[in-house]
Amino acid sequence: MSIYVDQHTKVLVLGITGKSGRLQTKIMKDYGTQVVAGVTPGKGGQVVDGIPVYDFVSEARAHHQIDAAISFVPPQFFRDSCIEVIEQGIPFLVATAEGIPDHDVVDVLQYAALTGVTVLGPGSAGLIAPGKCKLGAHPPQMYQEGRVGVVSKSGALSYEVGKTLTEHGIGQSTVAAIGGGPLWGVKVSDILLKFESDEETDMIVMLGEIGGTMEEQAAEVITHHISKPVVALIVGKSAPKGKSLGHAGAIIQGNKGTVESKVQALTDAGAYIAKDSLDIVRIIKVLEGAKV
Amino acid sequence: MKLFEFQGKELFKEYGIPIQSGRLLTSPEESLEALTPPMVIKSQVLTGGRGKAGGIKIWEGNDDLHGIVDRMFKLSIKGEQVNAVLALNSVDILKELYIAITFNKSDSTCVLIAGASGGVDIEKHALDDEQTMSVIPFNSLLGLSEYQIRMAAKTLSIDDYATFRSIVLGMYGIFKDYDAVLVEINPLAVTPDGLVAIDSKIEIDSQSYFRNEGKIRRFADEVFQLTGTDVFAAVEDTITYVPLSGNIGLVSDGAGTGMLTVDLVTQFGGTIANFCELGGITNEEIVYKALTKAAAGEGVEKMLVVLIGGFNRMDHMAEGIVKFSKENTKKIPLYIRMCGTLEDVGRRIMQEHHISIYENLHDAVKSAVEAEMEK
Repeated sequence: MSIYVDQHTKVLVLGITGKSGRLQTKIMKDYGTQVVAGVTPGKGGQVVDGIPVYDFVSEARAHHQIDAAISFVPPQFFRDSCIEVIEQGIPFLVATAEGIPDHDVVDVLQYAALTGVTVLGPGSAGLIAPGKCKLGAHPPQMYQEGRVGVVSKSGALSYEVGKTLTEHGIGQSTVAAIGGGPLWGVKVSDILLKFESDEETDMIVMLGEIGGTMEEQAAEVITHHISKPVVALIVGKSAPKGKSLGHAGAIIQGNKGTVESKVQALTDAGAYIAKDSLDIVRIIKVLEGAKV
Repeated sequence: MKLFEFQGKELFKEYGIPIQSGRLLTSPEESLEALTPPMVIKSQVLTGGRGKAGGIKIWEGNDDLHGIVDRMFKLSIKGEQVNAVLALNSVDILKELYIAITFNKSDSTCVLIAGASGGVDIEKHALDDEQTMSVIPFNSLLGLSEYQIRMAAKTLSIDDYATFRSIVLGMYGIFKDYDAVLVEINPLAVTPDGLVAIDSKIEIDSQSYFRNEGKIRRFADEVFQLTGTDVFAAVEDTITYVPLSGNIGLVSDGAGTGMLTVDLVTQFGGTIANFCELGGITNEEIVYKALTKAAAGEGVEKMLVVLIGGFNRMDHMAEGIVKFSKENTKKIPLYIRMCGTLEDVGRRIMQEHHISIYENLHDAVKSAVEAEMEK
């Protein structure tokens, strides 16, 4: 199967009656994702696009098998709705909202970690396993089935690269966006490990950007645990220098986070460095040629 | 929102953290008669490094306090005008410690950080003197446990544990109650009379205003009086705007693709005049506003509009672009790449208004870089 989800995954949508939730649910359903139920407090009994809406996650659980949830609820209600999902034992949650207070995000991620629930996000565009399941905002027309796994922080960049790969005849096993951070449930390195053990993935594309230390951590994982080829693109080479960090941030992060340090770490780990989205295609074609 | 030192210390007082006594001066004309030496005169600015910039002076009594205060109100520290000065009674400092509560974002945990050598060079100490620093992670749901406070006390060789404990718990209270992302005391001084917080650094999460506006209104009002910045208004605008020095204005609907585009422009030999990212869930009004903002930027001769929508709807984007195009008074050429959610509707709207779009990013960037300014 693809990673985290496949054609059998039964999905619950949180915030299904909102404008964005409604539109995204329709696109997911049209793509073939099995959306079985929705939850919006106070809207129980309504039907959205043929999908029954409940007031509580527990009520949806009582009527449907649910394997994964995706949340379109606004930041104010994020913490509460995630806790409800976690306490109902739904094992996989995609959290799309941005601008959630850090304290709420950390509470949810720590609770999820304690209970073994996987949270993709917050601020995540979700993921798509082309031809099987779309759990998020990835525009379906930009993807095709194949054997390259793509992981990105940025949603838009994962659309951009998916589109470029598809235009050049390179299909994808799964394309996942973890969110812009700086707080994450699932990290790039978690997805790298999933791709490593995924039988449907031959090659991995990793999309990173300046700031933080996630790419350096991923380089560690690649060095020790990834045998499949990794093509990496780090954007922001020409971006202006960011704002300086406060004392506490500087203490935790040291002086990592520049494009140079990320490219160096990934090169040392044996990854192929692409200079832009088209260059990813070129490298994959070379790697595919070498394999034959 | 960052709090001024005097604001942070107000909170410290409310949470039982010992501070020096003193007075806040908001004008150089204020009467200084009740003040007696020795005192420390500290400029109130939100930027760091004020000590090294002359923003902290000692008044021993032999020089003129009026002169010190006058000069300080004339200071501008890293571009920030000094509009308030804190006059504090001196204490004898035997040792300077560092203590902070914040998040370790890479692990999604809270951390208590204790450093045995506090003071202005704390970052340097953190790098070359790791054995004197403890970074103690704690679970946000459980809060700080006693043993974790004891670990910090051990790192700092604390004699008076009871006071130290109440200081740390006070900091934790502020961290939780105010949605703070950083509560820092640097230095926490060991004095003959016990522990004293010599400075305060508190930052409140701007994402939490929806539930804290009432509670932090008093601080926001003071920040507005002293800096002219309305912290609440700044948050409502989701557009990120970074002025640069080239001739292409860039509007994008994602930071990742925005940065990729900047890299591509540079690669093709072009220069970016400004970087404008829509942020969050966008609509017609926001893209219109962003286009107007980018077009008005200095040096803009042409504009690249890079849209690839997941949550973002291309019908809305097209409406915003059409609205802007009708008003585009400077006749700035637009190079638009538009695709994603509801792209068919978006394309139709663009066609109806005879606005051409590019299918892929490389073509749009190349055309924008190579195009000569339309006469």
